[in-house]
Amino acid sequence: MARDSEIPPESFEEILAWLNADRDVAAAMYVQLRHDLAKMFTWGRCADPEGMTDETLDRVAKKVHGLRPTYQGDPRLYFRAVANNLIKENNKKIKSQLSLEGIDLPVPTLTETEDDTADIEECLQQCLQKLGTDKRELILGYYAKEKQAKIDHRNELAQRFGITLETLRVRVFRIRESLAECIERCLKRKRQ
Amino acid sequence: MVACGEWIVKEEILPDALLREFLLGKVGDEERVRIESLFLTDPEAREKILVIEQELTEDYLEDSLSAEDREKFLSRYGQTAAQLQQLRITRAIKDWAVRENASVQTVPNKLSIWSRLRARLRLKPALVIPIAVTAMIAIVVAGIWLNSRMKRAALEQELAQLNSPASLHEIPQQMVSLHLSPGAVRSTEPIIVLKRSAASAIVELNLPWIQKDRYPTYEAEIRPVGGAKLLTMPNLQAENDARYGIRFRFPARVLTRGQYQVRLSGIDADGGAATTEEYAFIVED
Repeated sequence: MARDSEIPPESFEEILAWLNADRDVAAAMYVQLRHDLAKMFTWGRCADPEGMTDETLDRVAKKVHGLRPTYQGDPRLYFRAVANNLIKENNKKIKSQLSLEGIDLPVPTLTETEDDTADIEECLQQCLQKLGTDKRELILGYYAKEKQAKIDHRNELAQRFGITLETLRVRVFRIRESLAECIERCLKRKRQ
Repeated sequence: MVACGEWIVKEEILPDALLREFLLGKVGDEERVRIESLFLTDPEAREKILVIEQELTEDYLEDSLSAEDREKFLSRYGQTAAQLQQLRITRAIKDWAVRENASVQTVPNKLSIWSRLRARLRLKPALVIPIAVTAMIAIVVAGIWLNSRMKRAALEQELAQLNSPASLHEIPQQMVSLHLSPGAVRSTEPIIVLKRSAASAIVELNLPWIQKDRYPTYEAEIRPVGGAKLLTMPNLQAENDARYGIRFRFPARVLTRGQYQVRLSGIDADGGAATTEEYAFIVED
């Protein structure tokens, strides 16, 4: 597994050992932790969630050796606390640097170039091919209706498959996640 | 797979409405810390939060959020290039599903019919055997119907894929392209002949549109002359490169020997077929 460039190898190994005694399990937990910390920074409205995730991991890496023998509880909560402090620091820094009141910020839009659209469409088609008919049909049925009509429709769909609505939501979420990841990987390859 | 029991517990600890508020930054610090901690340490809670986040994104794309929530959503999920790309991907998936659903009808729900049938059987026991026989015949017929329906759904999906904007940019190796003239069924012009060969997997029809009126979309329909409709492709867009016309691709395997008629209809903004043009070609071995 590739380690983050700023973290010394011994600290990285210590972080893995702290997360779980089994290195493979720990590696999987680390990958998920990176993703989840980036989510937390997104929820905290940070401009650079990935960069702040790296900063969190760097800070923990510097302390892990002294911390590990005495820390009680799930180590991921320590990462959360460090991330939370970082969000607070970041917010303070922004407030002290600039007041956003009275400034017209550009409204972010979803407009895209024809190339973007064509690339996403092409990657979507490639990834749909890999998805398998059952999963494709499930996604198709799930998104058949929009707004209010979708609630009844999804209940009917769950009934038809003999599962609860909650299970249906989770299944669709997992399929859609893997589809989105496949599209992102495909787009990355195209832009390299 | 997540069991229902676990979800019931999660619904008590993390109701959907609370998670939506959390994701839009509307909860207090204590609640936020609790939810974030569960997110990092509890796999089921994590998945539930991500499910709600996905649904929130759908609501944004469907324009179902209030102005305030929309603003809060964008301040979290519409700022960085990576976030905008994720929104575009979600929109592309939804758009694809809407397109596909427009051409493939969903199988109707049969549960209520069975419920009614069971209620009737309870009232009239003498009818049980005739109804059972009829039901068996119906099941066999439904099986045949379902099989043909699945084949048709697969073909419709293949057509949608072959004619997506991205696919039309590509020129597959095993494709043969026919340039047809309008009115060829009635005209004295020679009809284009397509020789069937193993090397041609896809047929592309180039259909010039010579009518004065232009339409937002077009629908192409192919049938053997004097025979039943073979396939229909809605939502085709005209191209205006050298000549205004429509390109339409389909798998060559659907064709057998004989003469075929192509009907191309301009579809107006209300969804009605306005003007139709006809073309023809012959398939030979």
